[in-house]
Amino acid sequence: MSTIDLAPERAVDTVVGPFDEEAFNACGKGEPSLLRAKREQGFHVYKNLPAPTSFDEEWRRTNPRLFPFADFRAGGALPRIEPDDPGEHDEDFDVVVNVGNDGYSINDRTGAIRGGQVMVLPLAEASESCADLIEPYLNGQALPSDWDKFVALNDAFWNFGLFIYVPPGVELEKGIHLKYSMSGDGNALVPQVLIVLGEQSQASILESMSSPDDASCLSIATKEIYLQPAARLTFVTNQEWGRGACQIANDMAMVDSDAQIDWITLNFGTGVSKLKLGCDVCGSGACAELDGLFFCNEKQHIDQKTLQIHSAPHTYSRLLYKGAVQDEGHSVYQGVIQARPGAVKVDAYQTNNNLVLSNGAKADTIPGLLIDADDLKCSHGATIGNLDPDQVFYMRSRGLAEVDARRLLMRGFYDEVADRIPYAWVRDQVHRHVDARLGV
Amino acid sequence: MEDDMADIDTENKLVDNEYKYGFVSDVEVDEAPKGLNEDIIRFISEKKGEPEWMLEWRMKAYQWWLTKDEPRWALLDYPEIDYQDIRYYSAPKQMSERFKGEDGELDPEVKRAFEKLGIPVEEQERLQGVAVDAVFDSVSVATTHREVLEEHGIIFCSISEAMREHPDLVRKYLGSVVPYTDNFFASLNSAVFTDGSFAYIPPGVRCPVELSTYFRINAMDTGQFERTLIVADKGSYVSYLEGCTAPMRDTNQLHAAVVELIALDDAQIKYATIQNWYAGNAEGVGGIYNFVTKRGHCRGRNAKISWTQVEAGAAITWKYPSCILQGDGSTGEFYSVAITNNRMQADTGTKMIHIGNNTKSTIVSKGISADQSKNTYRGMVQIMPTAENCRNYSICDSMLVGSECSANTVPYIEAENSSAIVEHEATTSRINEDQLFYIRSRGIDEESAINLVVNGFCKEVFKQLPMEFAVEATKLLEMKLEGSIG
Repeated sequence: MSTIDLAPERAVDTVVGPFDEEAFNACGKGEPSLLRAKREQGFHVYKNLPAPTSFDEEWRRTNPRLFPFADFRAGGALPRIEPDDPGEHDEDFDVVVNVGNDGYSINDRTGAIRGGQVMVLPLAEASESCADLIEPYLNGQALPSDWDKFVALNDAFWNFGLFIYVPPGVELEKGIHLKYSMSGDGNALVPQVLIVLGEQSQASILESMSSPDDASCLSIATKEIYLQPAARLTFVTNQEWGRGACQIANDMAMVDSDAQIDWITLNFGTGVSKLKLGCDVCGSGACAELDGLFFCNEKQHIDQKTLQIHSAPHTYSRLLYKGAVQDEGHSVYQGVIQARPGAVKVDAYQTNNNLVLSNGAKADTIPGLLIDADDLKCSHGATIGNLDPDQVFYMRSRGLAEVDARRLLMRGFYDEVADRIPYAWVRDQVHRHVDARLGV
Repeated sequence: MEDDMADIDTENKLVDNEYKYGFVSDVEVDEAPKGLNEDIIRFISEKKGEPEWMLEWRMKAYQWWLTKDEPRWALLDYPEIDYQDIRYYSAPKQMSERFKGEDGELDPEVKRAFEKLGIPVEEQERLQGVAVDAVFDSVSVATTHREVLEEHGIIFCSISEAMREHPDLVRKYLGSVVPYTDNFFASLNSAVFTDGSFAYIPPGVRCPVELSTYFRINAMDTGQFERTLIVADKGSYVSYLEGCTAPMRDTNQLHAAVVELIALDDAQIKYATIQNWYAGNAEGVGGIYNFVTKRGHCRGRNAKISWTQVEAGAAITWKYPSCILQGDGSTGEFYSVAITNNRMQADTGTKMIHIGNNTKSTIVSKGISADQSKNTYRGMVQIMPTAENCRNYSICDSMLVGSECSANTVPYIEAENSSAIVEHEATTSRINEDQLFYIRSRGIDEESAINLVVNGFCKEVFKQLPMEFAVEATKLLEMKLEGSIG
């Protein structure tokens, strides 16, 4: 650590790629004043924050220059279009939201929206039709108090906004699928999604992203999730952007008393990713279970930061992130468990397991504990290694080919998390990704 | 008025109980004016009777230092340090005359000071089995056990002396592990370092005694900038101990040391520190700012460097004893107990850089924070792409005593080789109630019970220390925790 200080030349640049004043003025014309105010505040912060450089601690392992911001246009608001023909697996959900280059559609498949079991509507519409409901959640309460350049950028420039609300006591039977499929038309995708679960409600949401490998796409996303007391949410992100895509995402959840979030993040796609995902368990009895899988091969670079923030006593969080790197892949995992003053009787655990499958691939892991309270138990474990040669040998001695032995071991490694995914076809996708990369 | 005085008196007595090394010796000193500039560096170099190349090196370091900002990434909170308000050289007068050639007597005050600290510096009273180099502010005042060491061809003396007597060795190794461009504090040290120890163990020699340096800050407003260089030649072994204390003062004093260890083929260096600088009072007034760069270089095959530290003092600690494991099959170890109480802040840990094949490292760090203190473990384990079959195991445990303290763990792990195995584990929790209950149910009072549990918590580290030091460390811990438990 003594070699760090390289006296950074501070970048005076505050504009990221196409996101300048002109683009801002073209954003969100005719929006309700509630949203306009939020945009303006976002832009004010954005233009006063320097663009990050690799000298910033946060960006030291993922050079911002890896993101070709200048190749993209800010892109106008996505229009709402009529739902297309049903896609694969749509039958697993009550509501399917499709987001594409031409616009987005909301398909109320089972009539859950009409029946008042759930609200899924554009942010702009929500801030007019149910302003009282949405207003308390527009101040970014879940987000960390120190502003992030890209959170501010998203606030100012978002071109797709969605509000999901499950009323108190409702158990949404099949849940929601939020599906992004882009084909690279040169417009940046800047989605802002706000999810609120009322007291004692229950829902599951799948978010999936995809694009062709040869399409260059950019996504700068923010997602805020608020769980009111005793609500329960299962959230799965299946990120399969193509290799030509890069993404920056800031996702935060606030989990109130006795509420629980099960949050599974699968990162197999993109060329370059910089993700921050966090939970603030802020009420007594709140619980967060965070799981993640990732795999970087070829030149993939995936940088993930997780936050487990305990701001109330008697809260619980558990995290398990597992991943592998191969070829010239580079994964960065940074995890923080933070216990705020007074957060006693906290139980927090964080595990990060990494496999380095070939020389030249790189895995960085930075687990961290920031503890400001005393009567608690917080711990983390991190490992880096390869598949156990003894286990491979054992299987080979039973007549399995080496490649099959490795595949089985890899499957075992990933299944610890994959088994928690409630959708069988997503589990199969995980297996396919892993098999393909092992050359099976 | 008289009442006031009485109050202050009892208060001082109380504080004395906590920090028994807080006395000040009244010694006639030879010192440089406050401030830092090229003239001061020339002054120091001249006082030390250094060769010309040394002065040039200092100047280069100073120029580099001028272009750098103080690092602020650590989880430490302290006011701006005014580097012009520090005295960079202070020495007991009789000593500095000694360096002009005449063999002066040791100032009786200085001798008394070391006696009070339990460090006999005269040959006839020397400690059995431990050769001591005693450093008082900016100079080394005495080195014991000389003949025994000479018999084995071991060089152990102050670095100033080494520069005059063994210039080739010093020139070859000084700055080769921690270059002056390494970091802000290392370059400051390179520019103004005043004394420290130098040890050279010739090939195949197992050093028969423990080598030890005792650092004492006495003068007001001075900084201590010592530099230690230990070279273990092929197949040699040395165990080195370091102790530090300073008087109690309301102002902060700066201590910025550099320690360089070099182990060649099959050599082994064990380096142990018991750091008990004055840590300031309960309100966080005064105390030493301890910014230290320590690094060992396993330069040869199968070399081994082992750091053991007990960090019990200093208002601010910024210290990361590291190992560069370059030689194939070399081993690095880091055992640390860091205890903070009152308003102390410590950001300490290690770096293990695996460059050679089959290199191994172990990290055992135990942090105890009490009262309103802040205790951070910060470490790095790095496996280079060409380093095959490397192994690291780290365990970092923190114990919290009291509800207002904080304990942080920030390890950085990077692996670029598919044969590497790296394991890291960390826990933070309160002192175990069940253990306390069990001990108390055997009729032992709470304070002793806590001491027992804490001692057990630190055992893995203490057993690395030579026995006398382990006893000392245990006592130190008890003293620190006294009254912290509520």
